[in-house]
Amino acid sequence: MKTFEARHWTFLGLLVVVAGAMILNIKLDMRVSPYTQRLYDCIDSLPDGSVLIVSFDHEASSLPEIRPIAQSVLRHTFKKGHKLIGVSLLAEGTLIGYRLMQETAREYGRVYGVDYVYLGFRPQYIAAILAMGESIGTTYPLDYLGRPYGQFELTRSVKNYDDVAAVLSIADGSLTTHWIEYGQARYGVRVLGAVTAAMVTTYDPYLSSGQMYAMMGGLRGAAEYEKLLAVSGGGARGMLAQSSAHLYIILLIALGNILYFASRKKGRGA
Amino acid sequence: MDAGTLIAGILTLAILTFLYRDNPIYKMAEYLLIGVSIGYILVVAWTNTLMAILFEPLFSGRNFWLIIPFALGLLMWGRFHDKTSSLSRIPIAFMIGSGAGVAIPAMLYGRTLKQMSATVMPLTDASGVPDISGLVVIVGLISTLAYFYFGREHKGTFGKAATIGTFFLMIFFGTTFGYTVMSRMSTLIGRMEFLLTDFFKLTN
Repeated sequence: MKTFEARHWTFLGLLVVVAGAMILNIKLDMRVSPYTQRLYDCIDSLPDGSVLIVSFDHEASSLPEIRPIAQSVLRHTFKKGHKLIGVSLLAEGTLIGYRLMQETAREYGRVYGVDYVYLGFRPQYIAAILAMGESIGTTYPLDYLGRPYGQFELTRSVKNYDDVAAVLSIADGSLTTHWIEYGQARYGVRVLGAVTAAMVTTYDPYLSSGQMYAMMGGLRGAAEYEKLLAVSGGGARGMLAQSSAHLYIILLIALGNILYFASRKKGRGA
Repeated sequence: MDAGTLIAGILTLAILTFLYRDNPIYKMAEYLLIGVSIGYILVVAWTNTLMAILFEPLFSGRNFWLIIPFALGLLMWGRFHDKTSSLSRIPIAFMIGSGAGVAIPAMLYGRTLKQMSATVMPLTDASGVPDISGLVVIVGLISTLAYFYFGREHKGTFGKAATIGTFFLMIFFGTTFGYTVMSRMSTLIGRMEFLLTDFFKLTN
């Protein structure tokens, strides 16, 4: 019979730390990073009623991290009265994107077809990004629910990126790079990113070079955004658990090193 | 508790059993995830791609130009038989040719030229205050490139530059690893939040 090994205790410890922090439910105060502030300022400074394309470029597996990130930015856009056109360049993100837009729009009483439209998935993301630069209506003749593109009050006035204030890519992978390389470079559309923490270092050079206008990353980014918006959400709720888990990992690393050096010293002494 | 929450809770716990060891409950949940994902992608690909972009415009809209991509798509199926496999080279050649034609200039511009120009930054900020970040970027770039230059032995001044490059690389790897750990923790926190709030109803 298999018994508990060191790794089992490690996992169990992590589970206890995360669950304990979530049950305690203490809200941590945090400093808003310049990254998040820039994205917030960008969306906030757009004239009310500006049209944004929100691209759900993620898979279902990253939903726990993507949900608070997406919700915080979508809340801001709907609160400001911006109009959103939702698309998805990954098949798995299609329904998730639709539901997230629907849920957030409902919070602010926004109406489908007037304040937001969801166009759904198109394969071959590079071809889709380039084609939307020419005509969004030709790339998406129908919306996600199968109704004609030109039927809605919102989409009637939006032909291509010229009529769009920015593209917000909500991503867990490298798809935002394609928005930068094809959407921004070829058509000059402003690209914003709301990405998982693992992707922050990938997009940092694009942010420094100005190819990407603004970006927020990870659960911390979501928590910072919620602070700026003065709303309570999944980002802020997870920050104590996140910080406790990090502290736990740091303690384990320190303990591992102490044990390693102690055993080496013992080995030399023998 | 609705059926969706119940199923999601049980499957989340089934996946977490892997932390103890590989077991049939975990495998069942894993196979279910793969099966549902593939099924979902197939349905989306059928309705949003084949029906929406090809069959409906071709047969209902009578857009006969679409016969060309339709025929190219059919040729791809030639790969399944030895006698017809050479036919699949036509759509593959088209895809590689057009893909490279679109991607090469975009990548050269976006990943090389724009990034190179971004490394040249003024040594003072807008208000005239000295800013060393531009200098750090230049030192980091040259020393990292020196590390990856293998046409000369890493000795003397060149070797020292390469060693400095390794420090920049380590900082990058460390930052990336830290962010990745943060990302994985967020996934765990998300599932824990679901279990504690929606499934076990221990928190609000």
